Amino acid sequence: MAIITTHNLSKVYNPETVPVHALRDVNLEFEEGEFTTVRGPSGSGKTTLLNMIGGLDTPSSGYVEVDGTRITGMKDRALIDFRLNNIGFVFQAYNLIPVFTAFENVSFIMLLQKWDKQKMKARAEELLTAVGLKGKFESRPKQLSGGEQQRVAVARALASQPKFILADEPTANLDTDSAMNLLDMMEKMNREENVTFIFSTHDQRVIDRARRVITMVDGAIHKDETKLSP
Amino acid sequence: MLLSISWRNIWRHPARSGVLMAAIIAGIWAGILVSALTNGWIQQRFNNLIQEEITHAQVHHPEFLMEREVSMYVDDAHEIFSFLNGNERVKAYAGRTLSDGMIQSPLTSSGVQIRGVEPDRERGTTTFHENIIDGDYLDADMRNPILLGEKLTEKLNVDIGNRIVLTFQDLDNELTSASFIISGIFRTASTPYDERNVFVKAEDLQELLGGDIYHEVAIMLHDENLVEGLAADLNSSFDHIVAESWYELSPELRYISDMGGNLIVYIMGVIMLALAFGILNTMLMAIFERMKELGMLLAIGMSKVRVFLMIMMESVILTLSGTVVGLILTYLTLEYVGEKGFDMTSMGGESMAQFGYDAVVYPVAFMNDYITTIILVVITALLAAIYPAVKALRLKPGEVVRD
Repeated sequence: MAIITTHNLSKVYNPETVPVHALRDVNLEFEEGEFTTVRGPSGSGKTTLLNMIGGLDTPSSGYVEVDGTRITGMKDRALIDFRLNNIGFVFQAYNLIPVFTAFENVSFIMLLQKWDKQKMKARAEELLTAVGLKGKFESRPKQLSGGEQQRVAVARALASQPKFILADEPTANLDTDSAMNLLDMMEKMNREENVTFIFSTHDQRVIDRARRVITMVDGAIHKDETKLSP
Repeated sequence: MLLSISWRNIWRHPARSGVLMAAIIAGIWAGILVSALTNGWIQQRFNNLIQEEITHAQVHHPEFLMEREVSMYVDDAHEIFSFLNGNERVKAYAGRTLSDGMIQSPLTSSGVQIRGVEPDRERGTTTFHENIIDGDYLDADMRNPILLGEKLTEKLNVDIGNRIVLTFQDLDNELTSASFIISGIFRTASTPYDERNVFVKAEDLQELLGGDIYHEVAIMLHDENLVEGLAADLNSSFDHIVAESWYELSPELRYISDMGGNLIVYIMGVIMLALAFGILNTMLMAIFERMKELGMLLAIGMSKVRVFLMIMMESVILTLSGTVVGLILTYLTLEYVGEKGFDMTSMGGESMAQFGYDAVVYPVAFMNDYITTIILVVITALLAAIYPAVKALRLKPGEVVRD
């Protein structure tokens, strides 16, 4: 069963003045455990699509369902709660809280979910160890490299036990080694723990690893290919 | 959690937060200090007038204060004394015999108000005797002793032990003169007062006026708030007199007191306004440079209420930190200045003395001033942070996290 479904999703910016069609009737389904890339040139609608799926933006028409729940049209407060408990985000610029340590950055989302302190500590340590940051729990973001910061961001995204992770250009700011290490780590989590990843990228390194590649052009789905093996 | 993140957020830019804190510290220090000086200034003026001269209430002939005729004395003064003796609201009272006249030294003469007092009763009622700077009070063992103000002794070129002559009108409207010996010299906060008033024994003056008369009964109460009731009782119990409270006798004192209160409000208002703009500026800068981070917090699931509270807490914690330091600094300053007094001689203190104000002011800060300041600062911090916090809530996470 699909965990994410988009129904005739369209988005038009500036409809009254100079209309820009960011999305045109996008119909997609994503299954649990996918490792999918949405690719396309700048302005093709990749990020807009991810924002719609993540409930960060509202479509002009159509709607999004996550695990049978229609998130389009949800009230602000309910949507924030929904994101907290169902969706993990990884951003291009890491967006960690600079005054928090790596451990606190990962724990923060669990604090919002009101986890038990002991369980929260154990999970934060487990995740940071899993992303290869054992020994850097107390480091602040500025004491970490770009690759390490993005690993913390992935650990943070996983901490809330989301149904899927949306990663918007996660490797764009990373050098090749860091990008490859990060992709290795995410691929491993996908294979071993069945974590669903949906990337928006034009980084070929990510596209090469994906098992499903969706190509967008001018806001519409141009191609939707599933590879037999990555 | 919110407290921890707010506290750490404040110290992202120690210099910026430090500058705002310094402004808060300086504002609070200056605000309370000015307020304490004003309190001290008013209290000293109040003490000077109430404790030394006016007292809480006075009884006169209904027209005496307007006409100042020697024949307008208080009828049945001794019955009033009996009434006051048995009244538990009354702490002390003193009868005064008053006359306007001329004082003459070998060198020159001057117009004066002659105040005949009963030394023992006056001493128990007012603190005027504490103003004696040379010689003795009127209970000195000499005939016809007189107290002169320092300014008047300079003008008349006389000193302790010298004789002067007082000339005034008696009850028969005849001019009468008598020689007095200077027993003491006084100095009050008001140089005009020192120049225009002389003190003699009431009995000496009464003998010269030709009757056992009193023009004024000065009354001190245990509690000044009871003054209206006592004045009303006196007015209803005795005919041909008028009993008045201190604020009826000296409306200017009440005006000064009210003006002082308003002045403090204006000063604190200006300080709070400046503080509000400082906080607004700092918090707006903090929001603008953290838009991506705030967008991320909203995106990953931090509720808008929590984001709002976080920003409000940052503002309040930052402001309260400055306030605590400011209050401690103010307290220490007041402890130091409170003992020595703040000498305003070089800032026109001499001119102030012309109007009856002390050149050395002892600041007085009440606990209320500190509490009010804290409340005002917190309210200002909250109000100033509302706009930046609302601005943060309007962020669209999908847009700002990528910018």
